[in-house]
Amino acid sequence: MSALILISVLAVLVLYLGLYNKKSWLAPLGILGLAGAIVLFATGWHIPHHLLAGMLEFDRFSIGFSIGMAAITLLIFLFGPDYYTRMQQHVAEQYALMLFSLVGGFLLSSYTNMLMLFLGIEILSIPLYVLAGAKKNSLRSTEASLKYFLLGSFATAFLLMGIALLYGLAGSFDLGVISAHIAGAGSSDLVLNFALFFVVTGLAFKVGAVPFHFWVPDVYQGAPTLVTTFMATVVKMAAFAGFYRFIDITGMPDALARIMVLLVLATLLVGNVAALRQTNFKRLMAYSSVAHSGFLLLALLTDTGPGSTVGATLLYYTFTYSLATAGLFVLFTIAKRANNGAEHNGIFQGLFAAKPWLALCGLAMFLSLAGIPLTAGFIAKYQVFLLAIGAGWLKVMGFGVLMALLGIYYYIMVARELFVPAEHPTTFVVTPLNGLVISACAIGVLLLGLWPALMAW
Amino acid sequence: MVYLFYLFAAISVIAALVVVAARSPINSAIALVVCLLSIAGHYILLNAQFLAMVHVIVYTGAILVLMLFVIMLLNMNEEVEVRKPLITRILAILTAGLLLLVLLAATRQGLEMSAPESFNPGIGLVKAIGMALFHEFLIPFEVSSVLFLSAMAGAMMLAKKDGTEHVNLPPSSEPKDPAA
Repeated sequence: MSALILISVLAVLVLYLGLYNKKSWLAPLGILGLAGAIVLFATGWHIPHHLLAGMLEFDRFSIGFSIGMAAITLLIFLFGPDYYTRMQQHVAEQYALMLFSLVGGFLLSSYTNMLMLFLGIEILSIPLYVLAGAKKNSLRSTEASLKYFLLGSFATAFLLMGIALLYGLAGSFDLGVISAHIAGAGSSDLVLNFALFFVVTGLAFKVGAVPFHFWVPDVYQGAPTLVTTFMATVVKMAAFAGFYRFIDITGMPDALARIMVLLVLATLLVGNVAALRQTNFKRLMAYSSVAHSGFLLLALLTDTGPGSTVGATLLYYTFTYSLATAGLFVLFTIAKRANNGAEHNGIFQGLFAAKPWLALCGLAMFLSLAGIPLTAGFIAKYQVFLLAIGAGWLKVMGFGVLMALLGIYYYIMVARELFVPAEHPTTFVVTPLNGLVISACAIGVLLLGLWPALMAW
Repeated sequence: MVYLFYLFAAISVIAALVVVAARSPINSAIALVVCLLSIAGHYILLNAQFLAMVHVIVYTGAILVLMLFVIMLLNMNEEVEVRKPLITRILAILTAGLLLLVLLAATRQGLEMSAPESFNPGIGLVKAIGMALFHEFLIPFEVSSVLFLSAMAGAMMLAKKDGTEHVNLPPSSEPKDPAA
């Protein structure tokens, strides 16, 4: 709880600093506060199941996710000063909105009450609607913001409808009471099935699962790259943490399992197949994000109740995915600047000749996203498939393996560009801080791939 | 009390009909005010004073005044008759008819349903709401302040003029922005 307050106050402080035009102080202050929040969360590690007024529960799952999200936000803030060098206005607001959104992420990883789920989703999303349109003179950014806002509000309406139905059935917002009601109800309870369906629809939108994924490519492409990075990493982690906490209490009744299987199959198929044809790097990463949602949903599908290792797998998968994605977006920004703002996959050409270390880092991150052994991405997918086998979803697992193989192709296609000599001379400008962020992401991905036990609890 | 209920019910139904039937948007909006006020009367009859007050302040006070402002700003006060093609009208009637059917069916089913909790006549009083808000739901109440704060900061950021030129280019001719 103290970390929640710290981050909320930090966001307000950052807003205040914006008033005094202290642009260079914003990122250091934010980084300091985030580090403080990580320490505060870590001190709660040994007090498991710390309940807060029946609304929030700080267990190992939520603390792990919160630390993970704060750490990724910290990496993004390290990238911030360089990203915002040419921007003079509203920088403070953007940092503050990201911190507000992070507070929503903390809530989503620790709620035990449907009210907090709703508030968490809204606190996570509303700053994002604004951040997506932060480049006010760009049509694409404005389009992304409006599209995300309209579709996001629609999804929230579904979520609210589901919560209302659950409240009507169980007479309480408390997850424990709802869980007991679901366990007692038959699988043919139509109202209950509709309630579960609506809540899952609202959450599936947030994680970008097919058929609720239409916003993902446009929003990822239109939003400023720093915001896209935040959306693809921290928001993804938060949405899955929230999704897991809800799925965990339902005990996966048959009706819900059927919906989830359809979501998994559709998401895996559309995400991977559509990514094959993308030439714009941001859109590629958007479909890659959809594809990874498919694997994560497969992990969720195997969750049949408390006490499983699904939570640990989700944390490992989302965190390592976020590390690789964050590092690649920083690399992308460097390459985009070197190519006068072009966004196609070819902008990485010549990187190996100019900056061999960065190119190798980029390769490691691409391989991790593809799931090649020795990287964290492989261990993550392996754990998901093990879970699926353990739960008896063999056919779905087989389809997942097929799609993972398909996914290797498009990651390698882009990774290949890193080593192709440039057609025309390009100069990549890398500030020390950016180099540090990329190296940290790549080393983290490799380290966690070699010693997955680092993140086990 | 029963007569008051019939009075408010009649006012709400008639006002709602006027909202749809009125030619001038201003008359529609004012009829909506009447309709919402009579619904607030229903809330008071149900012993929900707090909800009634909030309803009057938020809906009739804030939202409808805003709507009236918009209507006046758009200068829509002359009688406008919107012409729609026949097919649109048939489809609209069909959709509305289906909605009515579903609502009727749901109401008929709802009559047979029993609520999981019995009705507590004290639930709408200010005291009960205060107790729930500042005791049981204190954390969501406090956390929603973060939500409003972020929404306000975001609205200010989007709405403030900051020297950036207006967006009036087609997407294809958008200038490449090397800053990001």
